[in-house]
Amino acid sequence: MVRSSLLERLAAPLAAGLIRHDLPGLPDDRVAATVRFVQRRLSGLPSIIRFGVTVISGGLGAVARGRFAQPVIATIARRPLPLVGEFVRLVRSLSYAYVWETWPETAADGGQR
Amino acid sequence: MTGIERLDCEVLIVGSGAGGAATAALLAEAGFGVLVAEEGPWVEQGEVVPFSLDQMDRQYRCGGVTAALGLPSIAYTEGRCAGGGTEVNSGLYRRPPAEVVERWRDRWQIRDLDPDDLVAIAEEVEKELSVGPVPGPASEPSRLLGAGADRLGWQHGETPRWMTYPEGATGWRGERQSMTRTYLPRAMRAGAQMRTGLTVERLEIRHGRAVEARATLQGADGPRSVRITFNHVIVCGGAIQTPALLQRSGLRRNIGRTLAVHPTVKLAARFDHEINVPDDVPIHQVKEFTPALSFGGSASNPGLVALALSDQWPTFGPSVEDWRSMSVYYAAITSEGKGRVQAIPGLRDPLVTYRLTPGDRQLLRSGLARLALLMLAAGAREVYPSFRGAPIVRRAEDVATMQERFSIAKAPVMTVHLCSTAPLGDHEGRCAVDSFGRVHGTANVLVNDASLLPDAPGVNPQGSVMALAVRNARRFISVERPRG
Repeated sequence: MVRSSLLERLAAPLAAGLIRHDLPGLPDDRVAATVRFVQRRLSGLPSIIRFGVTVISGGLGAVARGRFAQPVIATIARRPLPLVGEFVRLVRSLSYAYVWETWPETAADGGQR
Repeated sequence: MTGIERLDCEVLIVGSGAGGAATAALLAEAGFGVLVAEEGPWVEQGEVVPFSLDQMDRQYRCGGVTAALGLPSIAYTEGRCAGGGTEVNSGLYRRPPAEVVERWRDRWQIRDLDPDDLVAIAEEVEKELSVGPVPGPASEPSRLLGAGADRLGWQHGETPRWMTYPEGATGWRGERQSMTRTYLPRAMRAGAQMRTGLTVERLEIRHGRAVEARATLQGADGPRSVRITFNHVIVCGGAIQTPALLQRSGLRRNIGRTLAVHPTVKLAARFDHEINVPDDVPIHQVKEFTPALSFGGSASNPGLVALALSDQWPTFGPSVEDWRSMSVYYAAITSEGKGRVQAIPGLRDPLVTYRLTPGDRQLLRSGLARLALLMLAAGAREVYPSFRGAPIVRRAEDVATMQERFSIAKAPVMTVHLCSTAPLGDHEGRCAVDSFGRVHGTANVLVNDASLLPDAPGVNPQGSVMALAVRNARRFISVERPRG
């Protein structure tokens, strides 16, 4: 079993939250597969970008816990905050590219057509 | 990490892309003992779908997720495989423009750089790569780009490709004549050795002479240290990895300070009929505003269509269900800005930064607006500019609204053309290498890849890279003698 990196562990719940917020119709198994893809790509980022993304994920993860998770995810998904907005754009780009390349007949809300 | 493997060669070539492969072939045929060190794997064409995520995993550095940091950051991609960028790019070809070559010669003081000689070399390269027009009509996204330009009275044309086509073919699908099909097999037939999975991390330089390369070989049983000795080393790792390797080796003069790119912004256009081609790019390019601005088509598989819509998903998203009627197009500029590549001690990857000028930002804004008009003229029912807060453009009047809302900070800026991080020439203040690629202050370290281009050529750069690489390799052969 391959041990996941700190960034992968920090980013996974945030990525899952963002994907579920943006694509509420995406089935759970597809959400899980998309999160694994995002984790893999984040772990391969160039050193300095990976460091920055780890810091942002750590900060966001500390805030988006328990009952605050949903409101925080909803806020960062809607509002382009500095730096955090770049993280959201990165996760979104990777997720959407993966979802529609893997399942091209996906509806805009993530559901199956 | 286990054991240390030792290798010896006459000429070590680091990287096997457009510059490295051509250099390897010419030197091996001239009798030099050549070892090509390639960091990535050898992937045969057909093993992966072009422009797919699988291809990005296997043939791109960092899975294709790399960026030059700045405001905004600019996403870029680098090939990391045998054949380098030639295995993953669009396969479009342009000769180095004569006026660009003259500018390089005069401003960077490049000795013996004759535009006519370079054209003669370009013709040889074109023959080797089977450069030519497609035998039949272009794909539908390509045809539409040309039709739109015709309606606006803008100059455009089919860009030649390095492809071969089946006998009697009347379509546009062919086989790419990338480096793994052309110069690399030629080099190996002439005796060159090639090792994939071999990453050169630094060169040991003593008294201006490189004596050894420290490298890591990725083997089935894990990474292994490798030491390579040589008479000459020619660095061909591309515009990011070449300066990073030189800097890690203690060579810094004018290296990595003048990164040049062609920044692009994109949009998706939706037509009334099915046009999408998931695994290829349009061959038409619109050159009405060159060299400042040019338009063309991008890879457009459904994932990339979704990506183009993702910045304004609440209003653009529903259109993804009609991806078969959509294609992605770009506006590329010749930038006045500059970037830097900086190796950071202890880190695997260099820090890459790029700063767009106010003029660049304005040009990207007007470029996206003109591209939207071009798509409407081509018959697009709806145009989706890729930036946050963008409106759907349905009529020419909507373009004004689009321009008002546009800000470069809201747009994903990308590039695929990276060059100029070790500029060629004898101008001491500007150049990293002499007029034939030898790094200033060294006896046996040369560069022969896109890093050499003094600035962005304003056209697809592979033709320029290869013409200069062949020129410099011939000079090397005329000056140095093989051991045997």
